[in-house]
Amino acid sequence: MSAPKRTNPRTESLKRLVSCLLASLVVALMWGPQEGSFGNFWFGITQSIFKPRVLVFLALGVVLFLVISFWPKVVPYLTRPGVGPLVSGGVTVLAAQTLMHWGDGIGDSKFGTVATAVSNTPGIAPLTKAFFGWLCWVMLAVIFVLAALAIVRGIKVLAWVAAGLSLVAAVIAYVAHHSVVTYAHLLDHSLGVYVEIIGYLVIITAAVVTALSSAEMAEGRVAVNRVLGWRPGLPLVVLGLVVGLLAFASATWFSPQNFNATMSDTHERFRGTGLAPLAVQYLIWLGWTLFAVTTLVGAAAAYLRNRVLGWVAAAGGAISVVLTLITIYDFSKLAGQLHVDSATGPWQNLGAGGWMACGAFFLIGAGGFIAATAHGSVREALARAADSDVVASGRAASTQFLSAPGAMRSGIMLAIAVALFYPPTATGFWQSVLVSEIGIYVLLAIGLNVVVGWAGLLDLGFIAFYAIGSYTTAYLVGSLPIKPPSWLHMSPLLAIPFAVAICLLAGLALGAPTLRLRGDYLAIVTLGFGEIIRIVAVNADGVTNGSRGPDTQVPHPVIHLGPIHITWGLNQLQYWYLLLVFVVIVLLAFRRLENSRIGRAWAAIREDEVAAQATGINTFQIKLLAFAIGASTSGLAGVFFASQVGFFNPDNFVLNNSILVVAYVVFGGMGSLPGAMAGAALLTWLPEFLKDQVPAADRQMWIGAVVLAMMIFRPGGLLPARRRAIELRGFDGAGSQPRAVPASEGM
Amino acid sequence: MTVLLSVEDIEVRYGAIKALKGVSFEVNEGEVVALLGANGAGKTTTQKTVSGMMRPSLGQIVYDGYRIDGIPPHELITLGICHVPEGRRVFPRMTVNENLEMGAFRFKRPDAAVFEHVLELFPRLRERIKQPAGTLSGGEQQMLAIGRALMGKPRLLLLDEPSMGLAPLIVKQIFDIVRGINSEGVTVLLVEQNASQALALADRGYVLETGEIVLTGTGAELLADDRVRAAYLGEEIAS
Repeated sequence: MSAPKRTNPRTESLKRLVSCLLASLVVALMWGPQEGSFGNFWFGITQSIFKPRVLVFLALGVVLFLVISFWPKVVPYLTRPGVGPLVSGGVTVLAAQTLMHWGDGIGDSKFGTVATAVSNTPGIAPLTKAFFGWLCWVMLAVIFVLAALAIVRGIKVLAWVAAGLSLVAAVIAYVAHHSVVTYAHLLDHSLGVYVEIIGYLVIITAAVVTALSSAEMAEGRVAVNRVLGWRPGLPLVVLGLVVGLLAFASATWFSPQNFNATMSDTHERFRGTGLAPLAVQYLIWLGWTLFAVTTLVGAAAAYLRNRVLGWVAAAGGAISVVLTLITIYDFSKLAGQLHVDSATGPWQNLGAGGWMACGAFFLIGAGGFIAATAHGSVREALARAADSDVVASGRAASTQFLSAPGAMRSGIMLAIAVALFYPPTATGFWQSVLVSEIGIYVLLAIGLNVVVGWAGLLDLGFIAFYAIGSYTTAYLVGSLPIKPPSWLHMSPLLAIPFAVAICLLAGLALGAPTLRLRGDYLAIVTLGFGEIIRIVAVNADGVTNGSRGPDTQVPHPVIHLGPIHITWGLNQLQYWYLLLVFVVIVLLAFRRLENSRIGRAWAAIREDEVAAQATGINTFQIKLLAFAIGASTSGLAGVFFASQVGFFNPDNFVLNNSILVVAYVVFGGMGSLPGAMAGAALLTWLPEFLKDQVPAADRQMWIGAVVLAMMIFRPGGLLPARRRAIELRGFDGAGSQPRAVPASEGM
Repeated sequence: MTVLLSVEDIEVRYGAIKALKGVSFEVNEGEVVALLGANGAGKTTTQKTVSGMMRPSLGQIVYDGYRIDGIPPHELITLGICHVPEGRRVFPRMTVNENLEMGAFRFKRPDAAVFEHVLELFPRLRERIKQPAGTLSGGEQQMLAIGRALMGKPRLLLLDEPSMGLAPLIVKQIFDIVRGINSEGVTVLLVEQNASQALALADRGYVLETGEIVLTGTGAELLADDRVRAAYLGEEIAS
């Protein structure tokens, strides 16, 4: 071992301190006014430096210095059980208390604004005043320090104390927020308090994990998995319990103008108006009873690992969801007939409460379902765990995120619950973002994941197929200058098979000559193809109507099938559910594909093309197939897009969008379906979210920062595929050290 | 003895460069035939041409009575020509089990008996069945590469430098296994630089030099030949 040149540690740290302080001065300058005045070129510097504010920046420099200096001492603690949840919970609470809204109608409704308003209000409850004044910060600091101490020192009592305090903090936050809302009679839809509660729940998880962890669970992920997998289904039931309590006790069920009615208020509101008896009973007692019974049964099923109870809870949850939907349909329809707040039909003026109740019942039922079906898999998982002692590499699986029995399926169920019952409670703005940004790009990312993630082909012209799908739809519905023959004229949903087929053919046509190219060359050719399609769309005036896009509106989808008549209009929610159906169909098909012969062939080609050839894979054909399948998914998205927006133009299909879709797939985790979806959802959501939070000019910077942080801390993407995770962590990182081999065998 | 594979005067080019300038040889059913030669002699090119990864510009290859030059590898494999490419080339992120399954890709599902047989031939693979192939040592990866080719039920097994970068003891083990595979009736075309081991195993051998066959004979004859000893075994020949 050759030691590097030794330097005096004291001069080293002195240098480091000086550079940290200098850096903090630079940041102070950047923060201040950037220009001098004509008379005084020192203006900017005097404004920035010679002010007490500079002390804050210098202090930050010292903190940075301390962090850098003591980082090697901190690192060993980072894999301890509970560190991940603690940090993410702390960050969540902090974000809730800085970025989120806490009371719609008070200024910009951010935490700081609400806090100022509360401190200027004399009559408000002292607890509320304390919370918004200092208590929220002190609680967070105390809990964080306690939990951190518990983790570092391994003191279990302290962990339990931290968990208890977190619970108290969550309750206090809720009470304080509630008192502000009731005091000021706000029409409040802010989410800050809920995010804060979630943050504290995550901290509680951290503390519980710490308290329950033992020596054998030295690694954080293992311990978290153990806790989550203790009783499969139980986490979902508990979550359902929390959501349900909020829904039934405090959430708004009916919200015409200037009126927020909880469930009992809603009953009062409709007393004597001839509301259907089922809805009346539901609002009085049935809802609560169903909630109590399903929760009890679900919890019992999970705790006792009882199959029968699990199925009962699942069925109860399903029935309760239906009953809840019927109830809110009934009273909103009645409100429509009575023209409450100019309502014209059902499903109007609903608050979040009914949907939250649906979500709660869904979660409880899903918990029961997992408890009912996870029985066998628990044993399998235990067998696998035993196996992993024999085969060292098996550990890679058991330390993976969400590898606990039922945890992955719980995650999926949670995602379904959110996808089904969150959108109706969102504002119109968010509904349109959900449909025209998040939903469509999720579909596109799923399609591109086949090409980039599974077959390993970099396609930078993916959006061209989306354009082809959109224009095919526009042609078939007769919105382009050239009209289809009358027998081919059809409604948008019927255009799906045609658009998909044409995109498939386009994929084959592009793939056949270009797939002999590799890597960078393929990327360049596809990039060119994408631009060609767009430029043709701009210039082929007689066919595509040029840069103006289709001349008459592409009609909205309709379904007339026997007794079923559904007409899509301007309501974004309808499109959301249509999109959900598309995504689910595509997902189911692709999941099968991933585990099929073709999926394995893709994996082989990605790993080693020569070897794949040697094992008898027709590499060209299989790659072409990936291209065509990706293209046809994109075509499906195109049909949806065209009929949803009605009018579009070639600017919707610029190169930038192709690159963004690639970025979503990479960000989410190449080759992983949940990853691609999560990546697309997060990166399309983020810019819209930042609209309210940061100055417009800074938005791209923040997105860039998020992507950068991701690439540093999770280079495999948000939810990496199993194989890719191995690839990026290296084989040793997976904990799969090959066992020692006797020297005489020398292998 | 019937001729299984006959290569007739093939010429292969990489652009303007002629890698093979008219190579002819034969492999009989049930034989082990070794192709020897220094780096750049054209051994691997010859084998890649036989396995269909390259296309000869002149000449023809006849296998089992059919002309096969120009047929792509995924079709040749259905005729029973399985190729263990140079440098092992296992799928590093797939487990040993998955690698073996990939070897049987031409079938709807892997033959359980063959699978079992491969694991008997290579007990080390059974121990590491769930491990990613990239974590295996060089010798184990070579075993896996051979095992993967065997999963395709070869009639003619093309082995490209199985001894590359392996310790002498392991090389001996691998060659023993190849002998065993051959004794079960699989014809083997072996490309090697390790002449002594290869010729000890081979029934016949051909020596390639800059794209041409310069010497041929049975394994024992070649092993005794002064030129071979001088060139490939590094022995000083007093002359």
